[in-house]
Amino acid sequence: MHKLLIKNELLGCIQCGRCSAGCPVSLRTALSPRKLIYKNLRESRKLPKSQDIWSCTTCRTCQQRCPKGVSVMDYIIGLRSYQVERGKIEPTMRDALESILKHGNPWGRPREKRTQWIDDETDVRILSEGEETDVLLYVGCTPAYDPEIQKSARALAKILNDADVDFAIIGNDESCCGNEVKRMGELGLFEMLVEENTALFKKYKFNTMITISPHCYNTFKNEYALDFEVLHYTQFLKKLLDEGKLQISASIDKKVVFHDPCFLGKQNDEYDAPRELLKYLLTDEDNLLEFGRNRERSLCCEGGGGRMWLEVESESPRNAEIRIDDAKSIGAEIVATSCPFCQLTLNDAVKTTKSEDKIRVVDICSLIAENKFEETEMEE
Amino acid sequence: MNSVVCIKRVPETAEATLKIAPDGKKLEEENLVFSLNDADNYALEQALLLQEEFDGDVTVISVGPPETDEIIRMALAKGATNAIRIHHDDISKLDASAVASLLAEQIKDLDYDVVFTGAFASDDAFSLVGTMLARKLEIPHITMAIEMKQDDEDEAEISRELEGGLIAKYRIKFPAVITVQTGMNEPRYASILGIKRASQKEVDVVDDPTIPENKVQLEKISYPPEGKKAEILSGTPEETSSRLAEILKQKGII
Ligand code: SF4
Ligand code: SF4
Repeated sequence: MHKLLIKNELLGCIQCGRCSAGCPVSLRTALSPRKLIYKNLRESRKLPKSQDIWSCTTCRTCQQRCPKGVSVMDYIIGLRSYQVERGKIEPTMRDALESILKHGNPWGRPREKRTQWIDDETDVRILSEGEETDVLLYVGCTPAYDPEIQKSARALAKILNDADVDFAIIGNDESCCGNEVKRMGELGLFEMLVEENTALFKKYKFNTMITISPHCYNTFKNEYALDFEVLHYTQFLKKLLDEGKLQISASIDKKVVFHDPCFLGKQNDEYDAPRELLKYLLTDEDNLLEFGRNRERSLCCEGGGGRMWLEVESESPRNAEIRIDDAKSIGAEIVATSCPFCQLTLNDAVKTTKSEDKIRVVDICSLIAENKFEETEMEE
Repeated sequence: MNSVVCIKRVPETAEATLKIAPDGKKLEEENLVFSLNDADNYALEQALLLQEEFDGDVTVISVGPPETDEIIRMALAKGATNAIRIHHDDISKLDASAVASLLAEQIKDLDYDVVFTGAFASDDAFSLVGTMLARKLEIPHITMAIEMKQDDEDEAEISRELEGGLIAKYRIKFPAVITVQTGMNEPRYASILGIKRASQKEVDVVDDPTIPENKVQLEKISYPPEGKKAEILSGTPEETSSRLAEILKQKGII
């Protein structure tokens, strides 16, 4: 029997099907974790060559819900790693991985442009080797390069400056965190990034790292052995609020619903910090709505697990489109998120469902920045 | 059947800020990322596909400094069986004919059926080495191949794309040189563990080759003349795209 099956406790599977029932892509793709395990145990104990595993968003629902402790998601990532070793992966994923090796980001953009998100109105200190700061803002690839998500990075920088936080960034030497790399099954590249990033962080002195993406947060917090505190920015801003260092006055009188990102919620149990921040922003707390599927049951937007670089074929609507329809049906006007990938997938869904005049998708830090610096940011 | 694949290490220039070195004959290499020339990657994949079908060796060969081993290891990780590096400190000083001679000198003694090269290198874009190599090896060649079908080990059917999208099909008997266009196949990925394992494989280094005389001399590289009417649009993607649409409409283009 292959070691991957033993390591992930596949033999404990009782075929109850809870994994497939909870899987956010099993309804729209051919992936069924239960069937995959069945076939692997029943028909052949060699590793299956199924391409269905690439639909997985690594949301972790299956693994979380399995009553027998089968590491379903880790098994799927393991299967991917064998396909990666054979080199036969989708070209779009191949390009993302090669770009990370060459340029330190999956978007095929040059390293020298990593700090171009900083505009004339954004004041950000870039650390030189040996320099000190209280808070290191790890920007991440998508906020650094994606024109839409760059707004979140700028908004966060403004908020931090306004709250007199001593913060700085690494600049063009910052590289991909590797969270998606690991989940695409490129374990060798992931290890290399862990080594290089750990050595890079040692060049600076700081107490806390904050990230914009829950994906970066997840891997730095759980998969690196780092000797400093790692927080998602919503957690950090919540802390500033509690300490009285950040003031937010209620100004939004619209109905807002929060979409839990898998890598902040399900995978790291942080459901409250973003909601607390939103409550401060709302003129009426009752305007904070909830999706039917929220918190640990939140519907995955399909942006994780390398799926940002892989479109799966399906007749059924995308999860992000279902999410936007759900938001409309509960009467929400704003879908707030705190993850760059969720923001991109949901924003696309707003366009494909022609909901631009009904729903706005926005990151919590942009909402806060609009609230605080109204004149300059209002129309962002 | 055995193939030889000629590969080149080139800088990625698409989005990089390019600076010409003080001597005016090459680019400043600092801050540039180097990788396997795009078309060569497709040439390599074609050789690997043939190997999967007919067995045999795939030998990669390159001219360049020790840094060239990076792309050689990547090729070995993907499945190439042998590797030769013809040492040269600065390949920007060699013309196409010199490179072809250096390659031919090594390839002529190998046991091969096909020699693949990329149709052109993204840095100097000569598209000459493959053709010159065929001449020096005295074997037939086909340039700019976009498709290759093969039922037996002695010959193949090759398609080339002509102007206007016409497709011309040829039969060619081996041994032959085939220069490959991007898009001929889907190159595989070389994993980091694969590349690490490949660093144990031996690269045959030709340390002190006789360098042929250049017939073409590079005089100088310069920046394109500044356009008189360039207008850089700034703003959000929405703003710039609507401004662009406006301009195109004004000019009657759309
Ligand atoms: S939830 Fe666990 S026990 Fe049930 S089918 Fe899935 S893997 Fe097997
Ligand atoms: S991790 Fe999520 S997407 Fe992947 S199989 Fe499990 S439930 Fe499905």
